[in-house]
Amino acid sequence: MDMKKTYIPRLDDILGGGVPKGTSILFQAMPGIISDVFGYQIISQRLHLDNDIGFIYTNTRTPAEIERVFDKYGWDLKTHLESGTLFFVDSISEMMGVPSIGKFIINDLANSKNILLNAIEDIPGGTAVIENVATLFDSIGIDRTLELIEISNAAARKNDVNMVYIFTRWDYEDQMVESLKARVDCDIELFGIEEKVMYRQVFMVAKSNWTTASKCKIFFELTEPGGVKVFIPKLLVTGPYNAGKTTFVHAIAEKAVSVERQAFELFPTTVGLDIGHVDYKGFSADIFGTPGQERFDLLLEPLARESIGTFIVIDSTKPGTFTRAKEMINMCRAEAIPKVIVANKYDLPNALTPDKIKKRMALWEDVPIIPVCALNNKGVHQALDALFDLIYRV
Amino acid sequence: MIPKIKTGIAGFDELIGGGLPENTISLVYGPPKTGKSIFCYQFLQQSVADDEFCLYLMTDYNLPQLEEKMMSFNWLIHEYFQKEMLYILDIASGSIGATQKETHTLKTSSPQNPTEIISAVIDDLQYIYQKTHHFRSVLDSTTALFSFNSPILMIRVLKSYAMRMKVAGGTGIITYTEGVVDSQIETMLKTIVDNIIHLDGETIDVEAMAGCNDVSANYKITDEGFTII
Repeated sequence: MDMKKTYIPRLDDILGGGVPKGTSILFQAMPGIISDVFGYQIISQRLHLDNDIGFIYTNTRTPAEIERVFDKYGWDLKTHLESGTLFFVDSISEMMGVPSIGKFIINDLANSKNILLNAIEDIPGGTAVIENVATLFDSIGIDRTLELIEISNAAARKNDVNMVYIFTRWDYEDQMVESLKARVDCDIELFGIEEKVMYRQVFMVAKSNWTTASKCKIFFELTEPGGVKVFIPKLLVTGPYNAGKTTFVHAIAEKAVSVERQAFELFPTTVGLDIGHVDYKGFSADIFGTPGQERFDLLLEPLARESIGTFIVIDSTKPGTFTRAKEMINMCRAEAIPKVIVANKYDLPNALTPDKIKKRMALWEDVPIIPVCALNNKGVHQALDALFDLIYRV
Repeated sequence: MIPKIKTGIAGFDELIGGGLPENTISLVYGPPKTGKSIFCYQFLQQSVADDEFCLYLMTDYNLPQLEEKMMSFNWLIHEYFQKEMLYILDIASGSIGATQKETHTLKTSSPQNPTEIISAVIDDLQYIYQKTHHFRSVLDSTTALFSFNSPILMIRVLKSYAMRMKVAGGTGIITYTEGVVDSQIETMLKTIVDNIIHLDGETIDVEAMAGCNDVSANYKITDEGFTII
């Protein structure tokens, strides 16, 4: 198959090398995720590295604004505009009352069809970015938008053009989104990981006609310059002194190292960091275990800022340390990220049950408390499942 | 008893039981030149007085103009902005190509790019939420947003905006110029918000608010802002 790269990190691997010529892909984004950058990255990198040709259809940013976005990410637009390898189909400037620099100008969305078809025929073998489908939906209606996409895709297939649709998924009915999805060869969903506020972004291939979509979720961030970059998420393991954090880190991570220093301690305990990596059910994350002593509290906040989820390890037999556990939760601002309480040493005779722990800690509603015996790996997978369920709750 | 957030309008706050119910969104609407923006400035001024964070979205003026307009009432926000308690999203300057240096408390966007607007809001909320779960928000005004976008799209965007504010703990006001969109869209707009306050130049009328329906009072705008008479 004749494949073209997307130049979005990890995406080409997941799609089996890239995108076949003449196919259509949809980036479907939860509101608040800057999705057009995915389209701009694909077209800018193809122009730059593959001598591709293409156009950007825009109804949300004026060409001048798009130039500034390209600048911000460090991608060249001017050279390609001047040489004519890239042009705009400008469906916004007229409406904004600013001069247009598009090769094609749409002053009435209802006339989009013929203009788009002409533009597609102009770039055989090239790439077209269409931004934003949501504006079309709400301006010309669902049916006409879907028809426009069908006709464009047919023309694109004939001309070996890749269509890249950008779509912000506001509160549209599922059925509308499904019928949009049905009309493209590949659907990539962008969504946020959140707890009260969105704090991380993920993309996932939800559908692909030419390869089995792995559904693996890739964390990403936008860097300036650079564009879409893959982000390796971190999980934080924290909790009071001697609760068993190091044992827990070693239990969930295949390989883990502990930076320990025992010389002046009566009992061996972690005074540095436990560092590990977990690969579990297609999810990959680095793990950081913090020391529990108060004099290391300064470390908590910066580590927590980078984390996507937190395990709070407590010793089920020591209710006296629960206050300290709550204090640590506050300190690492774990309120705003998903968290699971690991009730360690639950197998000991005087261990408190999760219900009793919940009462003793006076916990806010729905923090899962998972009984674990880190020493012999009991409950460890349940704890991972519980945290990942929270992280990926959409 | 729901905690109340003062609007800063003496007399009006007493009338509505101390202020706007915390963690709700209020629509402030009315014909042009009835004081909707001044209502926002006064709300912001109270935020300064109460030492609370505020996320302020503006579509018709920029930060220097806001400072200037507030200064005419002797409300000073410069120091408050310097203290990074005021998060500005300037939706007026982006589309005209005015470039200003963006910082995490001063961002620019364009009225016809709601995806970018909501993204900037979410970004600000991340910062604010780390510091507090009680803050104010202002969106002045939805009128420009309606005129640059399909109104139904804008309703979806405002729903998303209101949801984000409330989940993060904010108490917000959004303004709208009566009659800009058709009555069906106006009705939809009213269903997004919790409280509805109407201004007609003489009367401030609470059309909806838990516990104080149909409260109204006469007002005039003096050099001290809204004054209930």
